[in-house]
Amino acid sequence: MNSLGLTLAIIGAVCAALFAGIGSARAVGLVGEAAAGVVSVDPSKFSKVLILQLLPGTQGLYGLLIAILLLSRIGVLGGGAADLTTAQGLMFLAASLPIAVVGYFSAMAQGRAAVAGVGITAKKPEHNGKGIIMAAMVETYAILALLVSILLIYNIAI
Amino acid sequence: MTTKYANAVAAVKAMENTLLTWNDLEQLINAQSRAEINSLVMAKKGEENISTEAVWEMIHDYAPDSKELEILLYKNDFHNLKASLKAMISGKPPEKYYIRPTNLNLHHLTEKEYDSLPDYIRNTAYEAYDLIVGTSDGQLVDSFIDSEALLAIQKSSESFGGDFMRKYAELLTVCADIKTAYRCSKMRKQKSFLERAICGSSELDKESLIRESLNEPESLLNFLEDSSYSEAARLLNESPAQFEKWCDDAIMELAETARMKSFGTEPLIAYYIATEAEQKNLRIITVCHEFGADRETITERMRKLYV
Repeated sequence: MNSLGLTLAIIGAVCAALFAGIGSARAVGLVGEAAAGVVSVDPSKFSKVLILQLLPGTQGLYGLLIAILLLSRIGVLGGGAADLTTAQGLMFLAASLPIAVVGYFSAMAQGRAAVAGVGITAKKPEHNGKGIIMAAMVETYAILALLVSILLIYNIAI
Repeated sequence: MTTKYANAVAAVKAMENTLLTWNDLEQLINAQSRAEINSLVMAKKGEENISTEAVWEMIHDYAPDSKELEILLYKNDFHNLKASLKAMISGKPPEKYYIRPTNLNLHHLTEKEYDSLPDYIRNTAYEAYDLIVGTSDGQLVDSFIDSEALLAIQKSSESFGGDFMRKYAELLTVCADIKTAYRCSKMRKQKSFLERAICGSSELDKESLIRESLNEPESLLNFLEDSSYSEAARLLNESPAQFEKWCDDAIMELAETARMKSFGTEPLIAYYIATEAEQKNLRIITVCHEFGADRETITERMRKLYV
């Protein structure tokens, strides 16, 4: 059994969950700070700013999804880990990178956009939806990265 | 790119909703009595008019580690130094001349414990004390302290301020220097006085201002006409009140550049500037009402608003 191939694939799963999760945690925290600032002055805006705070949390979920799919594909979750070559292990590692890297940066970017959206909600709560849409636009790139990671994971021959 | 003070900036944006708008000001200008003004302000703000001291405490609580914010209070700190020296000369208690908010422990000023003052004002306090004791020239000491205040603002904004604060310091200095130079020119002040009274800045250097101030006021105005402050010079020639308004509006225009930012100290500084302008507008309206000024006169004295 080539343990290096399997190790590389598992590192891929870890990267997907780790970086996308860190990005989301930082971004949700940042938006939470801003949201708390608004709520401290006007508690009635809690529900509106909460939606904005949730938006950058999705990248962390995408990272988790890719990690589970990858672990499932290589048989780690089922208890019978596949015998992977080093090249296959590297391919699985590469497959995790789109969501790991794009997930991290898109979460941070979305967090900043959501903080700006919190500013809109603070001053013009009736335009809250515009702030949500603008922040949600960043999600596109996380979804594209998720798609690429899924396609790669399911199309690497074992 | 900084993401500091997201919490403070968001809170300040929510508080901006309680700032007076032009519609509010128009209602206040048309008010028939002091009581009506008070009730209109209460209707907008939901409570008694909040003082700049309360606003300062609020933004300072949100960003307690920001040294940049403290620069905003240097003007008050140096004013309090002047008040303590004047009170000493006149033999009156200084407390009622102090203005707040301030960075200083006012007890140190009252008791002349200058060693306990912050670095930016300590030497000025010693020098001003020696100057007032030595010359008894209140005007000279006032001008000296004002100039030192601007210098302290410039130095601190260079040391730990951002671009916004540096521009603010520059604008404050230019406006104060133009006003001082014009007055000194009219009063035919000596060069030694001007050297203490004018601070100087990168846009209007000290030597040139002093040189022009030693001549007739027209010479100074001609010099300013060739600078980027020609509009200010024209207004100064027409009316000192219009010049003051120009200065306040220029600072507000600078503050407006921070309104769209979501992080950093700029929106906090801008909000404080906005509340100062609002308080000034309310004072103008109240005083003008008391003296029976007409609507047009009050309107033309109104400062630019942040919202």
